[in-house]
Amino acid sequence: MIWNETKECMSRDEIHNMQGARLRKTVSRVYHNVEFYRKKMQALGLEPGDIKGLEDLNKLPFTTKQDLRDNYPFGLFAVPQSQVVRVHASSGTTGKATVVGYTRRDIEIWQECVTRVLAMTGIGVHDNIQVAYGYGLFTGGLGLHYGAENLGATVIPMSTGNTKRLITMMEDFKATAIACTPSYLLHIAETLEEEGKLDKVNLKVAICGAEPWTENMRKEIEGKLNLRAYDIYGLSEILGPGVAADCDAHKGLHVYEDHFIPEIINPDTLEPCKDGEVGELVFTTITKEALPLFRYRTKDLTSITYDPCECGRTLARISRFKGRSDDMLIIRGVNVFPSQVEAALLEIGETSPHYILIVDRINNLDVLEIQVEVEERFFSDEIKSLERLTKKISNLLQAALGLAVKVKLVEPKTIARSQGKASRVIDRRKLI
Amino acid sequence: MIQQLSIFIQDEIGSIAGVTAILKQSNINLRAISSFDTPNFSILRIVVDQPEKAKELLIANGFAVTMSEAIAVELDDEPGVLHDMLEIIANAGLGLNYIYSIVYRNGKVPLLILNTDNLQLTIKVLKEKGYLVADQEDVVL
Repeated sequence: MIWNETKECMSRDEIHNMQGARLRKTVSRVYHNVEFYRKKMQALGLEPGDIKGLEDLNKLPFTTKQDLRDNYPFGLFAVPQSQVVRVHASSGTTGKATVVGYTRRDIEIWQECVTRVLAMTGIGVHDNIQVAYGYGLFTGGLGLHYGAENLGATVIPMSTGNTKRLITMMEDFKATAIACTPSYLLHIAETLEEEGKLDKVNLKVAICGAEPWTENMRKEIEGKLNLRAYDIYGLSEILGPGVAADCDAHKGLHVYEDHFIPEIINPDTLEPCKDGEVGELVFTTITKEALPLFRYRTKDLTSITYDPCECGRTLARISRFKGRSDDMLIIRGVNVFPSQVEAALLEIGETSPHYILIVDRINNLDVLEIQVEVEERFFSDEIKSLERLTKKISNLLQAALGLAVKVKLVEPKTIARSQGKASRVIDRRKLI
Repeated sequence: MIQQLSIFIQDEIGSIAGVTAILKQSNINLRAISSFDTPNFSILRIVVDQPEKAKELLIANGFAVTMSEAIAVELDDEPGVLHDMLEIIANAGLGLNYIYSIVYRNGKVPLLILNTDNLQLTIKVLKEKGYLVADQEDVVL
């Protein structure tokens, strides 16, 4: 069903006018409350009055993850801390987290967006939904949780980490929906298959996101579990899960344009892409109170269409993601930058040893192995000291990445040295 | 005391052959060899007639190598001889890290190579009990 028809089915003109008006208000509020943006706008010779509508959006400066880090933790907040009711954080490239904040109104908007997504998948008050995203600083768990409660469904807040218990409750509580990463859902499906329980569960809907997946994976999930699987997209900087999601047509993810203005740009020239052309997705928030962002560069590569969808919604649709314009990896829903590994390895010596990240998908679970060359200076005669080194590297990386890592020591000079741009990653996950 | 080389070996087919190939090319004679494995890597320990040269060559060929000292003890070829010596080390409160042996010595008795927490003290207690502790020249032949 369409949860909010007045917002999801406006004419394109109405959307434009609403976005223009909300953008004007946001720019004025941000200019007066966030020093970072005021300075950036002044440097560009921009005053709030110069942004009259959507057509002036491209006059505004871009925002990057680095800007959030530079203003860690609360420097970009546009409200006093007394109005912030919650923060979330994701791991940053150099160990510093990216912190985001929400006012009470922001939380309401967030849950409204997630509710729209869940309603779009056909979930309602009679459904029991297992939320198997991580609860905590990560936005996945609480984001889905609030949206599902707002819809009136029964939430089973599983979080992550215990597949056996998840399956027991799926069976005992008669779960009809699940929200988790697509690779984890495939893992759950295989576990159910092994235990001969596939026909004992009654899932109808899966809401999958937080990592890239493919149309083939969707078909595999739907075939194995006999359910309908939907793609949900989001990022904490903009909101969390619920920025966009796909409908029954599965022809792109609808962006909630009454809250976020999407743009697609060429990541090299920063010029706008034509509709349908692949480029970097950029968002401007137009209702966020605590952390409004101008033209935030997501680094996610996709294309956009404004054609009406067969489901009746008029919201713009972004296509399945084609990759990233930076070297970020998404492993079990966790963002990993090779530079984080480098920074962690620096703690074991003055210079980082040569290393390579190998990402693989084994039994549908992403596995990160880091191979580190054993250099003279780390090598002693004793096996126990090498094992201590392995353990130390693995602990450092786990702390830095928030992800279990397998460390393998390899002989010196066995990791290929690349000419020019260093290639630190081998991604063996086949996303076909 | 004698010089031994310890070489980091990753868990790949042919990795030890990679070491012996280098030694063969340079006509370096292996006196003793021992490998200790863990699930992911192993340490190859060797005693050679030209340890300095072997170390340089191996490092030049991309191996992580350390040269360290170990004790080489002459033991008669009789039952219980090894036990008697190990008991002396244990009674002295010394922890044994590993042992391996040189068998071929041109007619002389075999040498047992061992490494403990405290090499000097181990040599002292063994010499006090009348054991012959070999030097590098004794393995070169």
